Amino acid sequence: MTGFRAQPAQPTSSNEYEHLAPLFDELAALDEADEARRAELRDQLVTGHLPLAEHIAQRFSGRGVAKEDLVQVATVGLINAVDRYDPSRGTDFLSFAVPTVMGEVRRHFRDTGWLVRVPRRLKELHLSISSANTELAQRLNRAPTPSEIAAHLGVSQDEVFEGLEAGNAYHSMSLDEVLSGDTENLALGDTLGEEDTALEGVENHEALLPLIRELPERERKILGLRFVHNMTQTQIAERIGVSQMHVSRLLARTLERLREGLTEQEDEDPVSS
Amino acid sequence: MVRRQYSDYGEVKVTGWEPPPLHAHNDIELWLGADLVHLPIVRSVVATIATRADFDLDAIADLRLAVDEACSTLITRAIPGTTMRCRFTVSDEELRFTGTVKSATDSKPSTKSFGWRVLTTLTDAVDARVTTNGQEGHQVDIEIAKRRAVVDVPGAGA
Repeated sequence: MTGFRAQPAQPTSSNEYEHLAPLFDELAALDEADEARRAELRDQLVTGHLPLAEHIAQRFSGRGVAKEDLVQVATVGLINAVDRYDPSRGTDFLSFAVPTVMGEVRRHFRDTGWLVRVPRRLKELHLSISSANTELAQRLNRAPTPSEIAAHLGVSQDEVFEGLEAGNAYHSMSLDEVLSGDTENLALGDTLGEEDTALEGVENHEALLPLIRELPERERKILGLRFVHNMTQTQIAERIGVSQMHVSRLLARTLERLREGLTEQEDEDPVSS
Repeated sequence: MVRRQYSDYGEVKVTGWEPPPLHAHNDIELWLGADLVHLPIVRSVVATIATRADFDLDAIADLRLAVDEACSTLITRAIPGTTMRCRFTVSDEELRFTGTVKSATDSKPSTKSFGWRVLTTLTDAVDARVTTNGQEGHQVDIEIAKRRAVVDVPGAGA
């Protein structure tokens, strides 16, 4: 995706998106094997509904979060909505997507501690640490320690601790995006089949696989690389071109989502153990 | 047996839960309600301890995820309204975490679950125990250990 349109979001009416509805039907009817067409449809649906994400992002503006960040988060929500929407359930996409996208934005406010004001100095420190991390990892072939980062940046260890903590409080996706550039453009060799086999020994395998399939592609990839291929977070970061801190955050979110999904299923279908 | 004076804590019953004495200044213990809302606190504590102990950033991040997973497993087994105990022990070789809750059942966390796979991938040692102690009920522990990566000290070796 190449940036977002600059004009203000227009109020959305369902008419605006009517022409997209048949694409969902096509997507649902599509042969599992037709990955190319699937990706194409998904792309069209996401791009076509972008004004919706922008519109929702607009509603959350003025709360101390940059507009671009909000649009980005809302877009993630939109992508999830496109991936999870099932036209056979009879609801139209908008009534499904709006709460999904708003939920994503709300979660962003909640999870990322945006309401915690982090001083600019710490944000900058966090950025330097993140790039030092990437640089040192390449040189050392493993993740550096805080003391190595301190030595590299010429700051005290305490400052590194502070900067790392600031990252935890601030949890900013945008900080990572600054460093990791275009993460949507991943050339992803799909290893889903492989993951299925590797997870076969897991007892809740059948409940788990659909949850994994629902994950956004990048999250699924990272999950597979960490828990099936046993790569370190630093290796994964290098492989897919995002920062290690970002990998860490995405993994945390993914595991939480899987746990929630599995718990919900257990609640619905209590298994005696 | 020495009993802690927790009478002000209302519903939370911790009698008979006296932990062994802390070994050294690098043992840290945390007691909190066995409730998922407290997960971020435990995560932050383990990350802070690992950071201060100069673990590498991968290990720190893995520990956050592992403690999250271990505590989630424990909390879902805990009797509602009871306390979870978290103990962190740092040594030259490793960081060890033990989480403990009281449970209504004596079933051990399954080693075949996805959560267990997550724990074994993220750490170097995982153990789960259930101890039944008469009228005290069942105590579930999950213990994980993460070894420190071997860091070459500059100047040592070629």
